[in-house]
Amino acid sequence: MKVGIVGVGAMGGTHAEAWTHTPAQIVGFVAEKFEHAQAMAEKYGAQAYPDLAAMLPHIDVVDICTPTHLHHEMTLQAAAAGVDVICEKPLARTVEQGRAMIDACRAAGVKLLVAHVVRFFPEYVRAKQAVDAGQVGQVAVIRLQRDVFRPRKAEDNWFLDFERSGGMILDLMIHDFDYARWVAGDVTRVFCKHIGDPRISPGDHALAILTHANGAISHIEGSWAYPPPTFRTQFEIAGSGGLLVHNSDASAPIAAYWHKGDDDTAGEVPVPASPLLESPYVTQIKAFYHHLTTGAPLPVTAEDALAALEIALAAMASAESGVAVEIGR
Amino acid sequence: MQDRPQPSPLRIGIMSFAHLHAESYAHQLKALPDIDFIGIADDDLERGQRFAQRYDVPFFESYDALLAQQPDGVIVCSENARHRPLVEQAAAAGVHVMCEKPLATTLEDGRAMLRACEDAGVILMTAFPMRFSAPLLEIKTLLDQEGLGRVLAVNSVNQGQMPKRYRDWFVDRELAGGGSVFDHTVHLADVLRWYLQDEVVEVYAQTNRIMHRDEVEVETGGLILLTFANGTFASIDCSWSRPMNYPTWGGLALQLIGQKGVVHVDAFSQNIEAYSNTDLPAWIPWLSDPDRAMVQEFASAIREHRQPRVTGYDGFKAMEVALAAYRSAALGQPVSLPLS
Repeated sequence: MKVGIVGVGAMGGTHAEAWTHTPAQIVGFVAEKFEHAQAMAEKYGAQAYPDLAAMLPHIDVVDICTPTHLHHEMTLQAAAAGVDVICEKPLARTVEQGRAMIDACRAAGVKLLVAHVVRFFPEYVRAKQAVDAGQVGQVAVIRLQRDVFRPRKAEDNWFLDFERSGGMILDLMIHDFDYARWVAGDVTRVFCKHIGDPRISPGDHALAILTHANGAISHIEGSWAYPPPTFRTQFEIAGSGGLLVHNSDASAPIAAYWHKGDDDTAGEVPVPASPLLESPYVTQIKAFYHHLTTGAPLPVTAEDALAALEIALAAMASAESGVAVEIGR
Repeated sequence: MQDRPQPSPLRIGIMSFAHLHAESYAHQLKALPDIDFIGIADDDLERGQRFAQRYDVPFFESYDALLAQQPDGVIVCSENARHRPLVEQAAAAGVHVMCEKPLATTLEDGRAMLRACEDAGVILMTAFPMRFSAPLLEIKTLLDQEGLGRVLAVNSVNQGQMPKRYRDWFVDRELAGGGSVFDHTVHLADVLRWYLQDEVVEVYAQTNRIMHRDEVEVETGGLILLTFANGTFASIDCSWSRPMNYPTWGGLALQLIGQKGVVHVDAFSQNIEAYSNTDLPAWIPWLSDPDRAMVQEFASAIREHRQPRVTGYDGFKAMEVALAAYRSAALGQPVSLPLS
């Protein structure tokens, strides 16, 4: 299987490393700046291409790790070339784009796999398994929280460009919108409060309440307002028969206290990293590889990604309008 | 050298032991050196006699009989919906009142209580112990010193076990005023008003009854999102989501997002974890008891002829938030405060 990667930022680099743990071959890179693609191509023994169109004839699978607003066009391009697509989350910048991507891939007979990596993080997988095994009974109240620092790319920080990224609610909170829906099913109503004005806040911060079709309710916090190098997550799943609690601060296996030095060792973009023998990013890419080669089941579909996108956009609309937004599915 | 002259002890009684917090207040009244715990009155005679015996104080068969002793103050711990008559009775007798939270179950009752105490010139204090929590006070000091800059958002939780095993009326809509929303929202609504020195202008809430569905008829799950006048927003999780084998009754904690940073504060983290061969894991608390400081403040306010640090009006505003939460949950949309 020949893989081409588009986008060589934090996720492009992480995915490239992850692919080396599979039998697949990385054959090409495309980046906004050609020299960045060349550097990656050199590192992985692959070819740098000037653009996606030039790479498509040489690959079976394209792994799209570009800024969100480019997902739609690139997926359509790949589908037209009969190339399977792996796409970073969020699926797209708008629901219409996301739906068009799904339709185009289906019509072209190619796969569309969306990298909702939280579905591969062991603490989230174990909690989902515990819920499915009935350990909390019927789910009633979910709390999900993801607190990081504002992305600080040295050049062209597209995360902070609302038109391209959709901002923190779309880029970060979508993980937990997807997880809430994975655990408690479809969402019918969303209310959200958000602060994003850089003159007032050190970073975007939002709280949302979701109402699920089955009666469960979810509280979601997403934040870019913590100082670097913060990447903390918390969750609680309370049900008729029990409660699951996770807090990444409490479960951190290592605590280090240095006499001197700068403890801000984080990169430009916050990435979670509790020590594991296999990174969830590797687990995810392996799952994609097995799905593409053997049809092995995946925990997340493109329709799931579209539903998460719809919740995120509803949250943004609610924060903007000040009223609760109903989602009709 | 002469000792400072000791003031004569304040004479304080308890009206009704319907609320289990009365037990803690009785303990404080016995323990505080400058207070004379003069006795208990309860319309449940058996209950009143039992507790009077336990604390070794006189039992009065009517509230009038207790008030006839001309106490300096009383603590009202009747069912939430029955606070009003006892508070009005005490006010009419010219006796200062500390009333258990939530202040009342309706705006009308709350207003009547505020008016009765104001007209009689007596103190009405709401029993909000979190105003006296040492960890929460430390954050209050930080905020007052602008240590966090402007507070932009708060994520707060006051979850607990379903309280039916403590008192049946806690889950009775008429007597309690509702379920988890009425039980747990008022503490954090008050802490947030105190911290932010601002009023709530909008309330959004969603509730459900999935946990303990077969045992109670009131809501057991609730998520609330408040907006303050200056734009700060704050969520409250008031759910009865702590299972019966949880190591303690529940907890109260806040995460505050400020311009200068973020602080997390937990009013009940000061525990020793206890494990055993025979029992479930448990927590042994070592926190400074906020109830002690709260009862002391009631006594000090009486002695110093001043308003207490937390008033009946604070209790009224917190109750209004809880009442608004029910309206919002029914509508599926936010509602504006103050309520009409």
